[in-house]
Amino acid sequence: MRVVIAEDQALLRAGLKRLFEDAGHDVAAGVDDADRLRAAVSEHEPDLAVVDVRMPPSFTDEGIRAAQWIRDAHPQTGVLVLSQHVESAGAVDLVSQGGFGYLLKDRVLDVAEFLDAAVRVADGGSALDPKVVASLVGRERDALEVLSDRERQVLSLMAEGLTNSGIAQRLVLTERTVEGHVRSVLMKLNLPGGEDAHRRVLAVIVYLRASSGAP
Amino acid sequence: MIRAWTRPIVWVLVAATLLLVALSLGVDAARGTRPDLGSGFVLALVAVLLPLGVLVTLRQPANPIGWIFLGVAVTVGLGGLAGGYADYWSSGEGGSDGLGKLAAWYTSSSWIPWVLIPATFLLLLFPDGKLVSSRWRPVAWSAGIGIGLALVTGLLTPGPLEDYQQVQNPYGVDSGIIGVLTGLAFLLVMIGIFGSISSLVLRYRRGDRELREQIKWIALAGGLVAVVVPVGTATYELVGEVVANSAIELSILTLPLAAGVAILRYRLYEIDLVINRTLVYGVLTAGLGGIYAAVSLGLGVAIGSGSTLPTAAATLAVALLFRPLRANIQAAVDKRFDRARYEGLRKVEHFLGELRAGRAAPEETGRVLADALGDPRLEVLFWLPAEGVHVDATGRAVRDPAAPGRMRTPVRRGNLQLATLVHDKALGRRPNLLESVIAAAGLAIEISRLRAEVRRRLAEVEDSRARIVTAGDAERRRLERDLHDGAQQRLVSIGLALRHVQGLLPPGGEAATEVDATVTELTDAIEELRELARGVRPAGLDDGLSTALQELAARSPLRTTVEATDERFEDRVETAAYFVASEALANVIKHARATAITVSANTRNGSLVVSVRDDGIGGAAASNGSGLVGMGDRVAALGGRLRIDSTPDAGTVVTAELPCG
Repeated sequence: MRVVIAEDQALLRAGLKRLFEDAGHDVAAGVDDADRLRAAVSEHEPDLAVVDVRMPPSFTDEGIRAAQWIRDAHPQTGVLVLSQHVESAGAVDLVSQGGFGYLLKDRVLDVAEFLDAAVRVADGGSALDPKVVASLVGRERDALEVLSDRERQVLSLMAEGLTNSGIAQRLVLTERTVEGHVRSVLMKLNLPGGEDAHRRVLAVIVYLRASSGAP
Repeated sequence: MIRAWTRPIVWVLVAATLLLVALSLGVDAARGTRPDLGSGFVLALVAVLLPLGVLVTLRQPANPIGWIFLGVAVTVGLGGLAGGYADYWSSGEGGSDGLGKLAAWYTSSSWIPWVLIPATFLLLLFPDGKLVSSRWRPVAWSAGIGIGLALVTGLLTPGPLEDYQQVQNPYGVDSGIIGVLTGLAFLLVMIGIFGSISSLVLRYRRGDRELREQIKWIALAGGLVAVVVPVGTATYELVGEVVANSAIELSILTLPLAAGVAILRYRLYEIDLVINRTLVYGVLTAGLGGIYAAVSLGLGVAIGSGSTLPTAAATLAVALLFRPLRANIQAAVDKRFDRARYEGLRKVEHFLGELRAGRAAPEETGRVLADALGDPRLEVLFWLPAEGVHVDATGRAVRDPAAPGRMRTPVRRGNLQLATLVHDKALGRRPNLLESVIAAAGLAIEISRLRAEVRRRLAEVEDSRARIVTAGDAERRRLERDLHDGAQQRLVSIGLALRHVQGLLPPGGEAATEVDATVTELTDAIEELRELARGVRPAGLDDGLSTALQELAARSPLRTTVEATDERFEDRVETAAYFVASEALANVIKHARATAITVSANTRNGSLVVSVRDDGIGGAAASNGSGLVGMGDRVAALGGRLRIDSTPDAGTVVTAELPCG
């Protein structure tokens, strides 16, 4: 796939570029601020934009705003936002739109999982950092008491954006078993089912976000 | 300052005087004579001098004037007793010859000390007991030697005694030198008296307002004596001995009274009113008396004596003229003596009394001055030399007011400028009124200035405390940024580089496994760094207090509910609120054995109220959670307050109110 990287720290930008290239992907551009990111995305129309949250000039939420712009202007481009910390209410909003990922920066050190998530987002799927998911699930202890431990595990992995096969791999279960847990979770939480894995993931994220009271 | 021996001496003198007076009353009683004018005067003089002497000596032991009062009281008492006994003996009713002669001898000269000492030293040393300057020492010596010499020569003059012509001076020295010495004594005493009066005039010229008020009292009494004594003496035959003597003696009594008022500063500033009234009624009495005499004499001559008509007509004339005459004289005197000044001073004095009694606040000084000076827009601006600014009574700096028609008058104490009065220009044309009222209110102005200064300093300290907290917050934010964007990213870059190296190595080999383990270590380090940064300042605060509190609750091991407003506040308010909640939450988790926690943050009456409520064992206090003490300081620095309500077995509520208007 074709990737555009926006990261203001040169060393990290170079590291990310090499990471994607080592995995056989094509890095079309590496830029260091939000304006250049917009220009690069418009020019290259990549499959994926990897975006740092804090970028010049104000180092607050340039990345988030640029990410939203990409989703609106170039819906075919998946956006993977990288952040230094767990907290970011806006991120969950973005992820619940699909074709979006929000990961902590150090996730890149877990190369295989990171690339998995990147490919998934480029394909229109989702990726939400396990820490963020844990925080969301943590806030909803009461509502999630109807689920069994295993079902909560499955719910968390769904929220992270994993497909059934991904979950099966992670939990070392058969895909059929996972399928059963997923159905049970959706039923207990009264969520819409269906065949589309992405949609089910989004439903879970929307559920967590809504019930957590996040704005 | 009262020295140890002051009190005993004072009371011995008082006791001696009273004993002498009692003995002389006893002598009169034994003779069965009714007390006459002479003994009445002695009593009156003692009644005035003793209390004044006691008051002045006890308050100002170093001031000789109090001692002069007491000394004069003793000599008056002694003279009275001697006179009584001499009368008793000389009338032939009884008594021993030796004692009788001695009494008569002393009585004849006893007036010398008590008349001459007040006439010289009282004026010379008034009011503080010190000479104007050392150049006046010859006057003091002249008076002292003259009085001593006069007493000695008086006692030694041969021939019949002055008051008892039938008695020959038992100690008379028949020598021409006595006559010469008597003349010398007279000269020295005259130098003493006129020198003392000159020194008093000089004192008045050089004196400040208060000293002048004090001297005015003495001058009033002196003027009274100067008028009454010659008039009384001249009309001795006309009005009779009783009236003339009473008037003279009463006028003399006003001298120590005036001196006492001036020295003790009791109603000091009413001198103008007293002079005013004295003048009005003195002139009125003289005028009416003149009219009465003219009418009755004129008609008496015309009609012939023996008729009651002249008397009736004179009385009628006086009765008719009394009111218009009084009004005219009063107006004339008021024009000469400033009434507004008297009223202004009276208001200030009244205010000072209320201030001392705690019924008025020093902050009212401005209002009182505005009232006393009759300028409702008057302002008192206190000068703070250290800062070089004027402030009002609340301590707020006041810009230089250059309003048209306004004038500025500095208020000083010594060389120090205390304040500036901003007042109407019209007041500037009455410097006497302005100066008197300002001087009278000096203490109140100084007190309110000090209070304004304290207020200002306190406000500065509060501001700087708030600034320190804000600066601390900014520093935390910077540190958090540095950790996240600097160290953490650098570690991630290194991790990526290691992963790249790992990819170049043969998979599954020892080197690749080592690198993999190193990256795992690195991931842990990054995680620790992230926790550290969160402790410094949670990044969630950037998204608002509500978000930050939600995230705080999500990390809590206990069931924690958040009810927080989505409103945004000043950064330092949100930061303080967050840390209060975070600290309280940590305390609950550590100590309270609670099962559920509610964190709430809402606005109430212009304050952000943050509370953390638990259902634990209670009994918490700020002392056993030192973190809460620090939070209390942080909250107080923002002008808020922290409260801990904790009852055993009923949980704890920590509440912080932070002003956010």
